[in-house]
Amino acid sequence: MTRYVARRLLFAIALVFLVSSASLVLARLAEGDYVSASLGIEARRETKEELRVRYGLDKSIGAQYRDWLVNAARLDFGTSLLYDRPVRELVPQRAANTAVLAVTGLLLATVVGLPLGVVAGSRRAGFVSSAIRSLSILCLSLPPLLTSLVLVFVAARTGWLPIGGIRSAAVAPGGETADLLRHLVVPACALALPLAAVFERLQAQAMGEALDAPFVIAAFARGVPRDRIVWRDGLKASLRPVAALYGLAIGTLLSGSFAVEVTTSWPGLGSLMLAALRARDVYLVAGCAGAGAAFLACGTLVSDLALALVDPRARE
Amino acid sequence: MAATVDFACNSTRPGSIARFFSRSGYWPLGQFLAASKCSRFVCSAILPLAAYGLACGPSSRPPALSSPAGVARPGGELVASIRTEPRSFNRLAARDSSTDLVATLTQARLVRINKQTQDVEPWLAERWTPSEEGRRVTLSLRRDVTFSDGHPFTADDVLFTFEALYDPRNAGPLADTLQVGGKKLEVAASDAHTIAITFPAPFAPGVRLLDNLPILPRHKLEPAQKNGTFASAWGLSTPPADIVGLGPFVLSEYVPGQRLVFSRNPRYWRTGADGTRLPFLDRLVVEIIPDQNAELLRLTAGQLDVTNGEIAPESYATVKHAADEGRVRIIDLGVSSDADSFWFNLKPGAFAADPRAPWIQRDELRRAISLAVDRQAFADTVFLGAGEPVYGPETPANKAWYWAGTPRVPHDPGAAKAMLEAIGLRDRNGDGTLDDPTGRLVRFAIVTQKGRPRLERGAAVIRDDLKAIGVTVDVVALDGPALVERIGNGKYDAMYFRASATDTDPALTPDFWFSSGSAHLWNIGEAKPATEWEARIDALMARQSASLDAAERKRLFDDVQRIFSEHVPVLYFAAPRVVVATSARVLNATPGLVTLTPLLWAPDTLAVVH
Repeated sequence: MTRYVARRLLFAIALVFLVSSASLVLARLAEGDYVSASLGIEARRETKEELRVRYGLDKSIGAQYRDWLVNAARLDFGTSLLYDRPVRELVPQRAANTAVLAVTGLLLATVVGLPLGVVAGSRRAGFVSSAIRSLSILCLSLPPLLTSLVLVFVAARTGWLPIGGIRSAAVAPGGETADLLRHLVVPACALALPLAAVFERLQAQAMGEALDAPFVIAAFARGVPRDRIVWRDGLKASLRPVAALYGLAIGTLLSGSFAVEVTTSWPGLGSLMLAALRARDVYLVAGCAGAGAAFLACGTLVSDLALALVDPRARE
Repeated sequence: MAATVDFACNSTRPGSIARFFSRSGYWPLGQFLAASKCSRFVCSAILPLAAYGLACGPSSRPPALSSPAGVARPGGELVASIRTEPRSFNRLAARDSSTDLVATLTQARLVRINKQTQDVEPWLAERWTPSEEGRRVTLSLRRDVTFSDGHPFTADDVLFTFEALYDPRNAGPLADTLQVGGKKLEVAASDAHTIAITFPAPFAPGVRLLDNLPILPRHKLEPAQKNGTFASAWGLSTPPADIVGLGPFVLSEYVPGQRLVFSRNPRYWRTGADGTRLPFLDRLVVEIIPDQNAELLRLTAGQLDVTNGEIAPESYATVKHAADEGRVRIIDLGVSSDADSFWFNLKPGAFAADPRAPWIQRDELRRAISLAVDRQAFADTVFLGAGEPVYGPETPANKAWYWAGTPRVPHDPGAAKAMLEAIGLRDRNGDGTLDDPTGRLVRFAIVTQKGRPRLERGAAVIRDDLKAIGVTVDVVALDGPALVERIGNGKYDAMYFRASATDTDPALTPDFWFSSGSAHLWNIGEAKPATEWEARIDALMARQSASLDAAERKRLFDDVQRIFSEHVPVLYFAAPRVVVATSARVLNATPGLVTLTPLLWAPDTLAVVH
């Protein structure tokens, strides 16, 4: 198991390194640079050249990448051209916000999707399973972006929830957590609903198969109560597909959260990366992409570990 | 002087042409979904519909005020918005509109241009005396003015600001704008409250140039200037208490990615007409809302008081319904002073190895295009009816400088075809498209900015109108930085995007008018005028900028516009109507046209019902 974990960790580090390197190089290769973006066509040529020298944009891509690598080895990922602050400071702040949103979305999807999947999978006919299946198909067909728009609309229409942001401008002392939770509802639901539908469908399918397994039929024959078979034996036997999906789900959540963050003004990694891309802030782009890859790698790692625990064959 | 481009947030620089690539109402969504037309449709359709639905439906918001009229009283909180975070709290180090707004709220200038009347008003300088030859101005500074930390304001601070502005180590974005003929102003202090500014040449706009130069505190920033770190001073990690200024507000909180909170500056020096201490507001919260549709949702839901800028034509219906219910107040400022620009690459030699060289840079081609485009239909299509045809670089909104004799080019495709035939472009093989004398297709590409529906619609209308006379046009949409790069290196056939002047006085936009200018769009930074008519414009503009006779200046600039209309280096088809909106509780809103923050340029007199 230790070797397995070490191998997965090495893969995660390589993924982060490759993604951030590729992002930096691609952002630099794209037509236009930070100076073009910030000064525009009207600035004098001399002013532009002065700024390019100041920001190191006069160097070749190879030289810039080499310098970045050397500094990154010391955990210095450069200074954001856009915000004039170290990327090392900027990214973790925003990544934390994205993590809060993604983890909440994942928990919500799990809490909603799994039980519904168990219910739908264990009752192959009837109104309840049909209703759950229809709801899932509806949620599956709505991408997080669209869901967030609908939820924002509802929030604005009813006034029940904040339309955007992560905290209110004025919060009573002690009310910070409640305020954060209120702000989380719209973006977290937008992220969670499609994922919960995926979990429900998978779990229902797996549960259906599990209930057809000989050991379950034998349990029924022995007179074991149905709920006990479904929620203990059937659930345990059907968890593997969902556990395997968790790594991918985290990646989906991350990409979905980027869109949701913009529509709900959630100050996460997505909005930061968008600003960095628009401004051609190469160091910040690399930092954000690296953080995104780190999220994905962590998610995959956790998922692989969970799978390895559930199914020892996965370690092979 | 130079001008500005800023894709992220519509930056502005004083006294210059700003080509700002402001995002469309749907830009962030389009960014995410650029690969999918279907998704783009969903984004384009659903969010405005959602906002529309919100605006139409009942609301749980507090009851609407029937009228915005009321007497402004001190106190209350106003919520505004910006699209992106400021890049710095130091206006001399960054040029984006968010940084500019922070400076407007926390700093003060020597003089202020009233964005409604376009008059120059005394500000930190209570009066000034120009010399007879127009090269020197003596300004008397207000006494008993203190910075927000209680430190007295003197001429020393003005000298320091100019020193930091012009220091080449700082490579400040404002330095280019505060020059005349490429030379710096000389500033000297004769006592603690008197300064003299000498222009390198007679300069008609005079102190107007000083609007938007915030006067910074020497006592706070001198150490950074001395050790060469001024450009990074007052960065975003600076504690708010360290940001000291002469403006109506002080920064009290900055939450990255979310908001900036400003509190009343108790030491602000200005009072209202009735002696009330300004500003009226106790707090001004600036929320960072990247998307205009989200911003409008918040406005119509009562969670926002003023919008960031003008309302896009496609969002107007949303706000109109909320206005009909009394929850929102719409202010129509009339036709914009700017129209979107269309021009060809006129750099000599740009098409040297191109078979299109004999015709693509000819005046006749541009005149034919001017005849071929139906300006009324263009206004109706591009601005959804909220626009008016325009024919020259100045629109009627610029009352002081608009040339009433600007030829009103009719829509006449027949005349356009005849004009093209005169230069050898006609349909030689009967396929409905024009060919040049060698039989090659008459074809060129228009580059425009990606993600801005208004520009993309405009380019499409031009393409379709030219197709009707047999000219084949390809539309290429690029993102902002790539577009700038293309203009800078001259690798394009034709361009179409928004040009926006930040001052109405043409002498303050020399970068556009002079052939050597860095915003001389069709041929940037000419070493010497490439054409005889550009040389004539240069000469006229030089005289116009130096003349102290207002009537003569107007006559000279009319001549410039006449030459411009003869050679049409840039074509203009329509200008939008500018509409802004506030919540119903906002008082004293005085929106201005020639500013990128039309509702917040005078923050000290803004008030709310509370």
